[in-house]
Amino acid sequence: MSGASLARGINALKEQIDAPTATFFSACVHCGMCAEACLFYTETGDPKYTPIYKLEPLRKVWRQEYTFWGKLARTLGLSKPLTDAQLTEWETLVYDSCTLCGRCSMVCPVGNDIAYMIRKMREGMAASGHAPEGMIGATRRAVSIGSPMGVKLPALEAQIKHTEEEVGFSIPVDVVGAEYLCTLSSMEIMNFPEYIGAIARIFHETGVTWTISSEAFEATNSGIQIGVSDIAAELVERIVRAAEKLKVKAVISPECGHAYMAIRWEGPNLIGRPYPFKVFHILEVLDELRKAGRLHTTSKESGRLTYHDPCQISRRGGVFEQPRNLLNMVAENFVEMPENGTMNWCCGAGGGVSANERADELKMKAFMRKKAQLDAVAPTAVVSACANCRIQLEEGLEVNNMDIPVISLTETIAEHLAGETSTEARQS
Amino acid sequence: MTETEFLLWARGPAFQGATVIFVLGVTFRLLEILMLGRKPNLAEARGSAMLGGLRTIATRSFPDAGTHKRSAFTHYMGYIFHIGFFVTLLLYAPHILVIDKAFGVSWPALPTPVVDATAVITMIALIAVLLHRLKDPVLRFLSNFQDYFAWFLTILPLFTGYLAFHRVGLPPPTLLAIHILSVELLMVVFPFTKLMHAFTLFMARWYNGAIAGYKGVNS
Amino acid sequence: MTEIHNDAEFRQKLESLDPDRQRILAARFVENVLPFCNDERVSRIVKIAADPHASADELATALRTAKVAIIDSHARCGAEGDWKDQAGYFVARAAAAAVSPAGQSAGGPAWQAAMASRMAATCRSIDSTEDNAGQVKMQQYLVLSEFLTS
Repeated sequence: MSGASLARGINALKEQIDAPTATFFSACVHCGMCAEACLFYTETGDPKYTPIYKLEPLRKVWRQEYTFWGKLARTLGLSKPLTDAQLTEWETLVYDSCTLCGRCSMVCPVGNDIAYMIRKMREGMAASGHAPEGMIGATRRAVSIGSPMGVKLPALEAQIKHTEEEVGFSIPVDVVGAEYLCTLSSMEIMNFPEYIGAIARIFHETGVTWTISSEAFEATNSGIQIGVSDIAAELVERIVRAAEKLKVKAVISPECGHAYMAIRWEGPNLIGRPYPFKVFHILEVLDELRKAGRLHTTSKESGRLTYHDPCQISRRGGVFEQPRNLLNMVAENFVEMPENGTMNWCCGAGGGVSANERADELKMKAFMRKKAQLDAVAPTAVVSACANCRIQLEEGLEVNNMDIPVISLTETIAEHLAGETSTEARQS
Repeated sequence: MTETEFLLWARGPAFQGATVIFVLGVTFRLLEILMLGRKPNLAEARGSAMLGGLRTIATRSFPDAGTHKRSAFTHYMGYIFHIGFFVTLLLYAPHILVIDKAFGVSWPALPTPVVDATAVITMIALIAVLLHRLKDPVLRFLSNFQDYFAWFLTILPLFTGYLAFHRVGLPPPTLLAIHILSVELLMVVFPFTKLMHAFTLFMARWYNGAIAGYKGVNS
Repeated sequence: MTEIHNDAEFRQKLESLDPDRQRILAARFVENVLPFCNDERVSRIVKIAADPHASADELATALRTAKVAIIDSHARCGAEGDWKDQAGYFVARAAAAAVSPAGQSAGGPAWQAAMASRMAATCRSIDSTEDNAGQVKMQQYLVLSEFLTS
């Protein structure tokens, strides 16, 4: 992020353009269907939020650098190169009005993966100095402190100590040879530390060996959200080093959408090599335990529960059956949203939007799409598996005077654990 | 130049020239795209990219209910004019003759009145699509010269073909020559416009499905 | 006076109390950590929780206010977190627990309020030299044992 300039930005954009990107731009017929898939457009009616339009600067660079007529036109002075002013204009489109949710990519009739390209475009925006303040701060903290919110090891240790008291047994830290290395998001450590207790109880009950690493506990990756692959790679390397040092079989990503995308799908490509370990989302691990008959639950929630699919976990991540299997274990009355699974709607806050104060108003407008879904389902509670979605849902529901609790799937499973560490056992 | 000479020129050298430009143009554009390459994916696969790609090529033609509801007009009109265009192009006896002469393949034609009606329906659909593009806020916002020009290039052969068949206005050979020229115009400009989607949409859908399929998602 | 020796005992005794008594106790737990919270609304909620004659309506309103206070005070994603502010967030959560109906969360309102209050103290001790967490726990044991005796 230092030494940002227009030239660096354009270079970054050039480097990002690959065959898929060129194909997508060549295939776009301006049908406008992507707009109808994007909650920022549907809830504002403003055409500038049309997903493919958010990519105009990238498309310009593609045309001028990688097509015959585009290069010719530029050489003859018939087309002008990208300007700094244009990138400034596009900053809000690329960062404030896009969560990388990828719904546009599911809907485009010619098959364009627009979210794929937005991710690439952010590389150019960041390199040219056009990333939002809040995200720059978060990224700096992630690099220098190890957490975008400035959570340091002593703070985590305090939360761990509290959790140990609550659950009545010790939480493993830096244990070599454990099966799983669990990472956490700063949001969880600060706002929902009960997640730590939940996984501790579940793993204790099911006999899973696990550990937290004191050197790499942060799961989120600000580098990806802002679009600086070098930083994103560095953040992934920290986890990889810890996983290798602790000789774990797998790394578990917590209840955070973009953290999963970062470590599971982007990570190896950022660092340039495959991992010597596997990566799972916590829901995948829990579902495997369920399948293996190791996860036993008791009693069920009687309320009408619905599930909000975090975009990076479901649609962009591929983990959409597992939460449903798990929810059916502990819910009598699980009702799907009208558009669900990989076609569910974004909460409006992912991809750095919630870290960007400038986007607050727009984010709440976007939430109205989720509100419409909830109005249609009328649940007594919403379940999800991402701390960021959770906060956005809580805020949105509150602003709209809707009294619907938002609960974590992992915590709910932990609440219904049958066995020694369960509520019932403790009560007897 | 006499009418006949004009027609002979349109069907002969002009057609050959247009075909060459079309083939070279499309090939060149596709190579331009493919040469950019794509980095291999080092993450562990959950599903099959290949199957995902092939799947999406097919399924993207059939949107889910929610998506369809929001874009019903675009879907219906889009299908009508595309299907109509191809029916007119490929199931009309004189066109099939041209293809037979060029490639040695042929197939049964639809009765000419049916093709005639199809051409009319297609043109109506195209006009509806144009009006939609002019009126809808998103489309109006997005559309540029190329969008309108491509529309013009698409309706022109239909319109001139209709005039030629019904012998309206000018001597039949001239009408036919104009129709053939309108097709040649389409062919020559095709590779440099969004009409390339006729080829690139298969690639785009493939990439989309492959990227998603790798992660175990049907896109 | 019944002495409480550990959390297992603490929790078990709390859970055995009826909802109204749990609420009073919960209010006392939160009162101990009120200084960690700047939100006026939270003090008012605690007063209502402490009132043995509080009506169902008053409690419901207090719960709604508590939820708003929680949302207003949580750490913002990606923003630099302040552990002192987080203490306030957990005090709000403790207050919400105190006015929540019984049966909604594991352990009951009093246990939840106790845990959240301890978390508030833990947050205060991060980034500072004070270490309140242990003290708060002991205070909670004392409050419970006095309550059971009276």
